[in-house]
Amino acid sequence: MSTPSAPPPCPHLTAYRLASRPPLRCLRCCLRVRPLGRPEIRREPRELPQCSPCSFPSRSSSRLYACLSCAAVFCPTHAASHASASTSTSGHQIAVDVDRAELFCAACEDQVYDPDFDHAVVLAQSSSLPLPSASASPSPALRKRRRVDYRAWAPDPAEFALMSSADPTTSASAAAPAGLRGLNNLGNTCFMNSVLQALLHAPPLRNYFLGDRHNRFICPRRTPMRRRSADADDKAACLACDLDEIYSAAFSGERTPYSPAKFLYSWWQHASNLASYEQQDAHEFFISILDHIHENIKDDQHKSHAQGHGDCCIAHRVFSGILRSDVTCTHCGFTSTTFEPCMDISLDLDAGYNSSFGVANPKLYVRNGERSSGGTNAKLSTLMRCLERFTRAERLDAEQKFFCERCKERQESLKQMSIRRLPLVSCFHIKRFEHSSVKKMSRKVDHCLQFPFSLDMAPYLSSSILRSRFGNRIFPSEASDPDSVFEFSSEFEIFAVITHSGKLEGGHYVTYLRLNNHWYKCDDAWVTRVEEHIVRTSQAYMLFYVQKTLYYKTCERATAV
Amino acid sequence: MSSSNDAAVSPRSQFALACFEELLESAVADVASECHRIARLGLDRGVDAEEEELCAWAARDHPGAVDGGGGGGNKGAVDVFGQVLPAVAADVVECMNCGRPVAAGRFAPHLEKCMGKGRKARTKTTRSSTAGRTRNNNGSAASSYSPYSTNPAGADRASLPNGITDGGGSCTGEEHSNHVLQEP
Repeated sequence: MSTPSAPPPCPHLTAYRLASRPPLRCLRCCLRVRPLGRPEIRREPRELPQCSPCSFPSRSSSRLYACLSCAAVFCPTHAASHASASTSTSGHQIAVDVDRAELFCAACEDQVYDPDFDHAVVLAQSSSLPLPSASASPSPALRKRRRVDYRAWAPDPAEFALMSSADPTTSASAAAPAGLRGLNNLGNTCFMNSVLQALLHAPPLRNYFLGDRHNRFICPRRTPMRRRSADADDKAACLACDLDEIYSAAFSGERTPYSPAKFLYSWWQHASNLASYEQQDAHEFFISILDHIHENIKDDQHKSHAQGHGDCCIAHRVFSGILRSDVTCTHCGFTSTTFEPCMDISLDLDAGYNSSFGVANPKLYVRNGERSSGGTNAKLSTLMRCLERFTRAERLDAEQKFFCERCKERQESLKQMSIRRLPLVSCFHIKRFEHSSVKKMSRKVDHCLQFPFSLDMAPYLSSSILRSRFGNRIFPSEASDPDSVFEFSSEFEIFAVITHSGKLEGGHYVTYLRLNNHWYKCDDAWVTRVEEHIVRTSQAYMLFYVQKTLYYKTCERATAV
Repeated sequence: MSSSNDAAVSPRSQFALACFEELLESAVADVASECHRIARLGLDRGVDAEEEELCAWAARDHPGAVDGGGGGGNKGAVDVFGQVLPAVAADVVECMNCGRPVAAGRFAPHLEKCMGKGRKARTKTTRSSTAGRTRNNNGSAASSYSPYSTNPAGADRASLPNGITDGGGSCTGEEHSNHVLQEP
């Protein structure tokens, strides 16, 4: 799904455009926009269109059209007769839906689309809206990101031979892909092992560490001087260094399981200072270590990562995206927009569909012969539905009235989330653990979630959400948005799934990795190859997707990093 | 929706019904118009891919393994490299805190006591504990910080064999509240 493209116009529309110069001009004066952006055609502000041929005094049908040539108003039943009974030479076939500002061809009896008309509608809509607040766009300091054009590359036979002979662990003939290695459970540490496995095979992160971008032997936080200082004892631990060590161990070619003891030790030294991070939820652990890595290696020149640039550290470079939150006043349409960086997206598992069946649900549907898409789709929890729900416009509680700057009073409002900038690696956290402070209990939501192996995030981007909010009109010229580059790179591929099985009090985390198009199950020290369907039946808790195509920024400095 | 069989429907009800029908038609026409636009402008290209994924998902087999995916009985089986691994890790790790060699599978509980963080840990000062650290005394000498207690009953984790019930599960804020350490 990308930018809308106009279908070829029907002959009647083409004829009309040629005949009337400039086309659709009269309509522009009649375009009126209602408070929430809904366009309509009215000659007078309070005009009440009626179908003239209809003998009814009041509107009998909801849909009224106005002929573009003679401005006669009629309902669908009289559309054909108006078009054929035209006295002038051309043009009475095209009409416009007065309540929706959509073009209609009476001869084709179908809705038609014209970019110029849409452009006029969009102009009317944007001029009617109040000016966006100052926070609507990121700071002007956001430098224009130019990207290097993508050039496909494939090795020639000589290079290919060289690559294959070089390293047995990376050659295609190797029994198992590089970097695949079990992690010993150190005593209830499967939450740590599962996250480490996912990180080990996150391509941008893996490339960073294997490319020696953080060398644990020369890291300033590990200098001998620091080690001797008693005060800095807790600060001597650098999680990035420990992660570097794990990468080296995993990609060393050794296949016996590795014990990430040092990493655990370092994490504890950090985590003990933050009371909220002592829980062993894999997601909490994931956020915790990313945060600590940021603290360890952040580039102090880019102190604030609020922009979501990711220039501060590798953790943000890989995982940080920007979410856009729009709160719209239902009364006047004024929208307040804020941006916030995010390292992952937590999604509610819509329990409504599967609630009456529980885990055994999928079996029932398939066995009942509901293989047709209509039957299965209706009752399934899917990742895409969760994302749709995440980006849906929600009406806020009456108690949470939003203070509208235009109305100068509290009004009911709509809130809508969308993704302004996609990270290199998207992590989706499925909220399976429900905590109720009221009932003083927690429970795990066991429902199965369908997730695709290839994911297109385009429908959830801010550009798509905004466009659909204004009727999906065709924009003849896209505004030059520095982030519009993501229109091209919104396709993601899955590479890791962290699953949780068992109960809340005693459960087990396992990671499934997709390497070289095969799936591997990483259950602590036990790594086995599994079939796709095993992964599909598992209870996904965290899903990791990486951008299918990586684009490189042009570098302003002479010496490229 | 059309007029009921009741012949004596009052004009007011008829009017209300007509209003409702008009609103309903308008709403339906709105949706139809939007969907028509989405389809014509090619904005729904992702739908086919989605259908394919859903069919693949629906057509997956269920070999009987509902929990744990792929069978939990792989502890003694051969892994992808052709190795057979013991249930308890035989690897020996040197503790960074005290320097003693510890079996990998028992490293975490050892470290817990060693660093003085676990519930069972005593207040003996170890080499690495900073002198100024105060402990949260909840009527016991031990610190209330415990990274391993998923079970509020506080089972003795050190004695559990590995790989059975591991630390997988979410600790609730309510059951393990107030893990506030007065650390400098």
